Amino acid sequence: MSYVVKRPSASSQWYLPAIFSGMGLTFKKMLRNLFVGDKMQTLNYPEEKYEYGPRFKGNHVLTVKKDGSVRCTACMLCATNCPAQCIKITAAEHNDPSVEKYPISYEIDILRCVFCGFCEEACPVDAIRMGPEWQSPALNGGTFNYDIQHLAYRGNLKGGIQSRVDDQERHKAGI
Amino acid sequence: MPKCTINGKSIEVKPGTTIIQAFKEAGEEIAHYCWHPALSVAGVCRLCMVQIEGQPKLQIACNTVVADNMVITNKSEPVKDAVRWGMDFHLINHPLDCPICDQAGECGLQEQYMRYGQYDPEMAEPKQKKHKVIDLGPTVVLDSERCILCSRCVRFTEEVTKTNELGIFNRGDRSEIGTFHNKPLNNNYSYNTIDICPVGALTSKDFRFRQRVWYLKEARSICTGCSTGCNVNVYFNEEGTWRVKPVQNDKVNGYWMCDKGRDVYKFTNLPVRLTSGKTGSKDNWNLLEAGALAKDVGATIRAAARSGADKIALVITGQYSNEDYDALFQFFSVGLGVQNIYHWINNPEDMNGFDGLLFRGDRNPNTKGLVARLEKYGVKTKWLDLEDKIKAHDLTHIVIAGPENHSVFPDLETKLRLFDQVPNVVWLSAGKSVAVDGLTAVTTQIPMKTFIEKDGTYTNYAGLEQKVKRGTTIVAGALTLEEAVHLMSGEELDMNMRPLPPKYLKTNFLVHKGGPL
Repeated sequence: MSYVVKRPSASSQWYLPAIFSGMGLTFKKMLRNLFVGDKMQTLNYPEEKYEYGPRFKGNHVLTVKKDGSVRCTACMLCATNCPAQCIKITAAEHNDPSVEKYPISYEIDILRCVFCGFCEEACPVDAIRMGPEWQSPALNGGTFNYDIQHLAYRGNLKGGIQSRVDDQERHKAGI
Repeated sequence: MPKCTINGKSIEVKPGTTIIQAFKEAGEEIAHYCWHPALSVAGVCRLCMVQIEGQPKLQIACNTVVADNMVITNKSEPVKDAVRWGMDFHLINHPLDCPICDQAGECGLQEQYMRYGQYDPEMAEPKQKKHKVIDLGPTVVLDSERCILCSRCVRFTEEVTKTNELGIFNRGDRSEIGTFHNKPLNNNYSYNTIDICPVGALTSKDFRFRQRVWYLKEARSICTGCSTGCNVNVYFNEEGTWRVKPVQNDKVNGYWMCDKGRDVYKFTNLPVRLTSGKTGSKDNWNLLEAGALAKDVGATIRAAARSGADKIALVITGQYSNEDYDALFQFFSVGLGVQNIYHWINNPEDMNGFDGLLFRGDRNPNTKGLVARLEKYGVKTKWLDLEDKIKAHDLTHIVIAGPENHSVFPDLETKLRLFDQVPNVVWLSAGKSVAVDGLTAVTTQIPMKTFIEKDGTYTNYAGLEQKVKRGTTIVAGALTLEEAVHLMSGEELDMNMRPLPPKYLKTNFLVHKGGPL
C-alpha cells in the first residue's frame, strides 16, 4: 500500500487570501439579501412554505363522488399493494345496492407510509391520490392515523376532490 | 377397462368414466364450471372442451364417455381458441367487478380470464343490467349480473338437499337465478351453494365483505359442531378465524357440510374466549396465569384426594380430543383413584337424531371417544348419582372439563347452578361465560384451547378416528386439557409445554434452555 504525503509548502502556509475570499462571498450575499430581498435563497419556513407541483407524491387524498360521499369501494387493493402496510380498511354493506360495498373506516398510518405511490397505482376507481401536500405535523395529542374525515374532507380540500371515474356514467355507457 | 391417452399420459379407467373424470384421475388440469363431481352433468358452460383424435369437432369433456384407445388433449391450439372465445360469451354480461367481489382470489372465472383472456371484448352491445344484492334467504345473497348460469346451485337443491328452492327464471340473456314466491333458500345446507358457485354470484351473509380471501390462511381441520366430524378448512389470519369450508372426504362428508357447522369458528375468536386464568367467586375474581393456576389447583386437589378421593368428582363433556381424555383419566382415575366420573350429555333427547344427510343431534365431536374411555376405565356412573351426591353435600371438589362451544349446551346455566352447591369448583373451558362468573362457590377458571389451536384425535359417530393438526393460536395464554392435567399432576412442563426430560439426563450446556414454566 502506498500513499502520498503532502508536505506543507510555502504557498499553503499563506491562508489569509482564502479567508478573505470566503468572507467576501459571505458579505456579498449578506448585502444582497439586505437590499434585494426577493432573490433570497432560503425560506422563512413556518411562515413561508414551498409549493411542489401537482404530480408530487405527498399526503394522500381520498376523492369523492358527485354527491360528496367517498369514492372508495373498499376493494383493499391499495392495502394489498402497500409495501409499508400502513393502510387499514374496514368494509361494510351499503344501503344502496348499486354501491354495494364501501369503507366504514379507512386509516393511513402516515408515519409508516413511505410515499411510494403504489396505492394510487393500484386503485381501480381513482379513489386515492397523492397530493402536493408534504407536511404532516401534529401537536401533542394529535394523531398520525389519518381517517376518512381527514383524508377526504380536510379543510384545504374545500369539500373534497372529485374522482374521474363515475359509476353512473359507466353504467350508462353499458360497462 | 378402456385405455386412453390424456395429454400424452396413458391411463386405464373404469367403463363409463367421462373424460373430465379421466382428466382428474390423470392429474391433468381442465377448467370446468357447470360440472361438479357430486352433481349431475349439465354441459352448459362449454369450457371443458377437449380435442379427440379422429373426431373433427371439439367435444365437452364432462358429457363424453371415454372409449377404448381415445387420444385426448386440451393443450392444442383449437382447444385454447375455443376456451378463449367460450369465455368471451360468459363475459358478455359479466360485470367484471372483481375489486368489490367477494369471490375474487378464489374465482374460477378470474383464473381462467388471467390465463386465456385479458383481451378487449368483441361485444359492441351494452351489458345486460340485472338485479344486484338479492336476498335469497337467511344465509345467501345473490348478484345476478355475476352469475354465469352454470346451474350448479339449482342442481344442488334438486339433487342433494331435495328442497328445490332455486330455479332459473326468464329466457335468453335475461335468465336469472331466483327463488319461488314466499320460499326463501332456507335449508341447513344452503352455504354449500356458495362454495360450489364458480363465480361471485352467491355470497355468504356471514362472510360478506369482512375479509379479502387473499389475506386468509387455511388450516385443515375437522368440524366440531356435531359427531359427524366433517373435514373442513378453517380460514384465519392474525385477527382470528373467519370462516369454515368443507373439504372432500368420501368416508365422512363427501363434498358438503351443514350450515350449523359453519358457525364453529365463532367460538374460537377472542371476544368470546376466556383469555386468562381466574380464581375467586362472584364479583371477586383474581386474574392469574393459566399454568400457575393449574399447578395451584392441582396441589389442592391432590391434597384433598389424600384425605378421600370419593369427595372429588369429575364431570366431562364430549368436546375434547382422545389425547386429552387419556391424560385426564390417567391423572384422576389411575393417579388419584377418583371414582365419581360423570359424562355431561348436553342434549339427551335428540342425542341420536340425524337429518339424513350429515347433521347429527349429538353436538359433540368426540362423544364416541369419551364413551370408549369411560368403558376402558370401568366408569359406570349415572348423572343422577352426581345430583344425589351434590344434594347430600358429599363432595368437596368438582372438576368440570366444560364445553368449548357454549352455544350447543342449552343446559349450561341449570348445570352450573347444580355445580355451585359444591364448595370448590374447577372450571376448564375455552369460552367465557357470565354464568360461570356468577358462581358463588370458590371457583377456578382455567382457559382451554379450542380445536384449531391443538393437535388431537377425534372419534366420530361411526368410530372413525380423525387426526387434527394445530392451525393457529388465538389465545396464547390458554392450555390444552392435556397440558392442564400434566400441570395439575405436579409435572413440570418446558417452554413448549412438553414434559421436562428426567433429571438424570445430562443436557448439553451449550444449548439454550428456557426454564420451567
